[in-house]
Amino acid sequence: MKNRLRVLRAEREWSQADLAKQLEVSRQSVNAIETGKFDPSLPLAFRLARLFGMRIEEIFQDES
Amino acid sequence: MWCISNPAQSRYVVRMFVAALLCVVFSSLAAVGFKFWHLTGVVAWVVAAVSALPIVGALIWTGAYLNEEKDEFQRNLFIQAILGGIAMTLATTTIWSYLEDFVHAPHLRLVWIYPMFWIFVLVAFPFVWLRYRS
Repeated sequence: MKNRLRVLRAEREWSQADLAKQLEVSRQSVNAIETGKFDPSLPLAFRLARLFGMRIEEIFQDES
Repeated sequence: MWCISNPAQSRYVVRMFVAALLCVVFSSLAAVGFKFWHLTGVVAWVVAAVSALPIVGALIWTGAYLNEEKDEFQRNLFIQAILGGIAMTLATTTIWSYLEDFVHAPHLRLVWIYPMFWIFVLVAFPFVWLRYRS
């Protein structure tokens, strides 16, 4: 699944470690989500959306 | 590579260390018991079964870790490595049983299946990890 996480994070000048700390996950998790290799669960997607003050579909794009 | 990055993982490592320690202690005590007191009957069955309890505990603690792990990506990695370990263990033991039946290969004692499983989990882990490397 494509996402704008890297761009949104860069806009806020957060490192992957910064974002991981706020989400209470590992940096590897953030990296895997950013690169589209791991799709987060709905609860984690909601946490991300809340953190960026956006809706989930503004962060993640369905490729199908 | 996987390293300890949260309290759930720390607890898991400590619990597995305790299980391994208890396994050595229980097995040693059972070996001594059978050697010097020549245990028989119900007592022998109970002592032999109790020796394996730390291994059962380790499996339960593995389940507990998966339940306690809040980082879903880390949990996903571990589950995939465990599935890889199960698949390799089943494949190896099945093939070996056929070898025992048809070409009289040396007998594989069942007690080796558990450590074999964890070795295969360790083998699977780097391959799972590589899938997610950027």
